[in-house]
Parts: sequence; C-alpha cells; structure tokens
Amino acid sequence: MTGYFDDLVQAGRVHRTVYTDEGIFSSEQQKVFGETWVYLAHASEIAEPNSFVARKMGLRSVIVTRDKDHKVHVLLNRCTHRGATVCREKKGDTTPFFTCPYHGWTFRNTGECAAIPHQDAYGEGFDKSSFNLKQIPYVSEYRGFIFATLNSEKGAKGIKDHLRSAADRIDEWIDHNGGDHKSIRISGAQQYTVHANWKCLYDNAGDGYHPEFSHQSLLQMTQQRYGAGMDLDYFAGGIDSTPMYSQDIGNGHTFLDQRPCMYEASAFDRQRPQPGREAIVEQLTKEVGEEKAREYFEMSTGAGMNLNIFPNLLFIGNQLQMITPLSVGLSDMTWYSTSIDNVPAAVNTLRLRTQEDFTAFGEPDDTANFEACFKGMHEREIDWIDISRHLHTGVDKVDNNGIVTSVISSDIHMRAYFAEWKKLMQSNDESSLG
Amino acid sequence: MISKNNSITDSYYLNDTFYDRLMALNESWKLETPRISTITLEDKQACESLIFTEARLADDLRLEQWLDCYSDQCVYWIPSSNPAVDPRQEITLEFHDKRRLQDRVARIRTGVAYSMVPVIRTRHVLGNIEYWQGADNEIQARSSFIIDALFDGKHRILSGWVGYSLVSKANEWKIAVKQINLIDADCLQENNTFFL
Repeated sequence: MTGYFDDLVQAGRVHRTVYTDEGIFSSEQQKVFGETWVYLAHASEIAEPNSFVARKMGLRSVIVTRDKDHKVHVLLNRCTHRGATVCREKKGDTTPFFTCPYHGWTFRNTGECAAIPHQDAYGEGFDKSSFNLKQIPYVSEYRGFIFATLNSEKGAKGIKDHLRSAADRIDEWIDHNGGDHKSIRISGAQQYTVHANWKCLYDNAGDGYHPEFSHQSLLQMTQQRYGAGMDLDYFAGGIDSTPMYSQDIGNGHTFLDQRPCMYEASAFDRQRPQPGREAIVEQLTKEVGEEKAREYFEMSTGAGMNLNIFPNLLFIGNQLQMITPLSVGLSDMTWYSTSIDNVPAAVNTLRLRTQEDFTAFGEPDDTANFEACFKGMHEREIDWIDISRHLHTGVDKVDNNGIVTSVISSDIHMRAYFAEWKKLMQSNDESSLG
Repeated sequence: MISKNNSITDSYYLNDTFYDRLMALNESWKLETPRISTITLEDKQACESLIFTEARLADDLRLEQWLDCYSDQCVYWIPSSNPAVDPRQEITLEFHDKRRLQDRVARIRTGVAYSMVPVIRTRHVLGNIEYWQGADNEIQARSSFIIDALFDGKHRILSGWVGYSLVSKANEWKIAVKQINLIDADCLQENNTFFL
C-alpha cells in the first residue's frame, strides 16, 4: 500500500481518485476519522451533568455525553442488541439513561448496560455488562474543545501532544474572545450540505490564493457600497508582499494569519456594517465608556485567524467550522457560532450579527467552487489536482520548532495536510472496539 | 468608515426595543387559537397584494423592486432553529436589516456571485394566509409556503411558514418584518442564496 499512496500523493500534485474513490473514502473512515484525533464537540454544548449531543465521528454515529460526575464519554449510538439507533434526538439536558426504542434495552450515559427487559430469558450465566454500549476509548479536551480517537498510542499521549503548537494558536483565538475559555459558549449553528468530497472543503481552509477571485461578488459589492479599506480587500492585489502568512504547524495542522492586515488598524472599522450596528455602538459606548466599548467591538469582529486542526475543525473568524463526511461526494459543513458570558448583552448581539455575514456573502461562492471542483475530479482524462504553488520558489522558512512559514498564497496548507493524510492512510493501525 | 451614500440606510432602529418587538411578534404569529380578523376588506386586499407582489418580484429576480416592498426599518429573518428563538441569543440562517438586504441584492447584481451562476430560478406558492390587526398601523399575517427552486437543472422543494408584520405609511403598505420558518431550519441546508 505504501507505493500506492506515494503514487497518489506526490510533492506538488494529488491524484483525483483521492477525492472520488469509494474505497479510499471507506478506508479514510478508519485511518483518518478513527486513528487520529477527531473534533466532536465544545464543552459548553454539554455543560451540565447528564447532558449530551449526538455527533458523527466520520461515518460513525456517536453520543457525546457528560455523566453525573462530569466525565465525558463518546458512545457508539448503536444498540448492542440488534443495532438500532439508541438515541434519536440531537441533544438533551437531563438524560442519565438512553433506552433503545426497539426492545427497551437501557444504557447509562456512561455506556453501561443498565437494564434488559425480561433478562431471565437469556439464561443464568448471562452477563449484561458484555452488552455495554461501545465507547471511543480515548477522549481528550483542550480548553473546551473535545476530541476523541480510537488509537491507543495517540490516545495515551492526549490531545495537547497532538495539537503541538496549534494549542498556542488556540490560546490566541481564546485571547481574542476574552481570554477565559470557560466563558466561551456555542450559540447555535448554521448547517449546510456540500456536494463534494470532504477534502474539497478542507483544501480551501488554508487557501489564501482564492479570495481575490472566488469572493469577487463580496469584494465588488463592498467596494461599490462602502468604498475602499473594507473587509477582505487586502486580499486583492499583490498579496504575497503583505505581512500575512501561512504555516505548516505540524501533524497536518495549518494556520493562515490575516491579522497583520485585518488588525493593522481597527478590524471593526473594516467590517461591513452589521444590522443594528449604530444602535449597539451608541448603547455600548454609553454603558461602558468609549475605550471599553472599542475593545468589545474588536472582539466582536472575526479573530483574523484561519486555524485548521486536521482533519475536521476549522477556526474561521469567531466561528468554528466542523467538516463531516457523509459519503464520498457529500459533506456536512456546520458553522458553530460563539458567544461570551460575562459581557454586556449587546456584545453578543453584535457578535451574532457579525458571524452571519460571511456565511451569507462569502461561503456560498466557496461552496459553489468546491462542488465545481468535485465535478471536475470525475473527468477521467485528467488525473491530477495541482498543489504546487510556491513549492519551488524558496520562500518557505523553518524555525527551531519545525514550523514552516510561507507566503499567504502558498499551497503549503494542502501539502502539509496531505503529508499527514498519506501517513495515516499508509499506517497499519487498525484499532478495534472488540 | 461607512460612506455617506444616501441609498444606504443607517441602522439605529434595530435596538433592544425593536428586538423585543420581534419576540412579541414571534409569539403572536404562533398563537394557536383562531384569529378573529377585525381588519377592513380594503386593508386585507392591500396586504394580500403586497405579500403576493413580494413573492412574485423575488421569483422574477426584479430585486430592486422587491426591496421596495420592505420598509426602511425592516427585518428579514430566517431562524436556524424550529421554533425560532431570540436572535440575540442564537445565530440565525439569515438576519438582515434594510442595509444588509441591499447588500445581498448588490452582491447578486455583481454578476460574479458564483452561488447564483447559473441563476437559481424559484417559484413561491403562498397559502393558508391569515391576517389580523396588530398595533396601530400594523397588520400581522401568517402564511404557509412552498418554494420550488431550480438550480443547474435540478428541482428542490423548500417549505415552512412565514410571519409578517405589515405597516402602512402615507397609504402605502410595506413589509416591516418577514420571518421565514423553514420546516428544516435546524437541519442541513443547501444553497439558499436566493430570497425566500
């Protein structure tokens, strides 16, 4: 298999079948969405004991629960009896038990099999604990972000070891959002299907080359209506001579930093006007004074950090994007919005109205292009997807921690994550849940 | 910061009082008891004409005229949950004041909004419409809807119900609030960059 994936993922190009092949997709569910850390939920979504959310870990249906002792479990949402979906709700707040609707088998939110109706019919030596819900064995949290893996080696080391310097970038993102990770909470989600392989979405997560072209509608509209110096217009023109940069930060994680341009002066002043902007500016200034209000305005504007935790968690602005494969050609792209506790209510209103902006003005054009790429990948006569931008220009710089910094339009993001993808796909690891 | 283009309305109106009013409307639209309409036939006809015109102009992509169906102090709101919750607490699928609605139209008009290339054709069907008297010069309405959306040769059906707040100024009726409740608001959405 080693040679096979070396052929498919080369230095500056990737074979189209990496995106379109059913067999590769099936294998990814084990090798990528099982054998590495996969993001599942934010701690605020299961803040209370006995709360849960239903999620997907790759194609697996899982229930992420918090038991009465505050411990987090990731349970396979499959009855150990006949296979029926045990939990059919998306979330719940007071759920110590899950009862399978088919034959009434009941499980604690720890996974323990609590009761089997008319159990005596299974005979005397029957051990109901052998029917506990299966769990993803390794669950680890970094400052509110909950990940899970099947892999014992990675599991033993914990998520922080896997994040490496991405953890520092998460800290910076939390700092932008007030600094206290416990006060950051998920405030709803915008969920979309994308008719493309999940990697078509992931490709774009660190692509600093596309905004000037893909987002012309947003740039032109903004220029026409609000003039220059607004929003993403620093992406138009000679972007590689700007102080923005993109990085390979290890283990397939990448980072694209817009802050040097976006926050050169006030990012809030660059922001396309949100609904109610003037009312909120007036109210907050009156409530907390100009200086503090200014601080709130900036934290309501996107963080300017595109931080990508391979394979499925993207920090975009103040939102979290989770990518979930549904089939080889269909993906779930969910944007979780964030609010902050302990700030004046108007700050969160402003944050929400800001977080609705890009999904209305930017993401739809991105999605159209992801879907167009996936269509093109089915043309049998053309094998290759190009990822060679700035591969041969010698612009990359490596620091002592092994972080590689490139210019903003580089394909370093794709090269970095595909190197990790290839490593995972070539590995012999095949964890089982027994 | 913001250019002094006269066509761009400011957004002082969207304050907490306005949001509180939205939440009161949200409750009013959901009333389960039959509504006894006390409005005049003339007003009812004018309101019906307005909401049918708005749907038709959206379908015909006459978007500048479509914008004129809305008052200058309007809200266009597509909740992301079902039933809707306070938009100060939770992200919506879309929540626009007049200015951001104008932005949405202007984006499509650039001709490079690739989510609308080829253009998405829609046909709205409104039914089960109820009208009742709101405060002062306001009439509230509620309608079921089905939208057939055609993109790249494929049909897609959206459905749900709409809550309206309609206001009259100088004898002209305008939409002050339109809340679009998709039956699948909390499920995965497709490309909805047309107007619902």
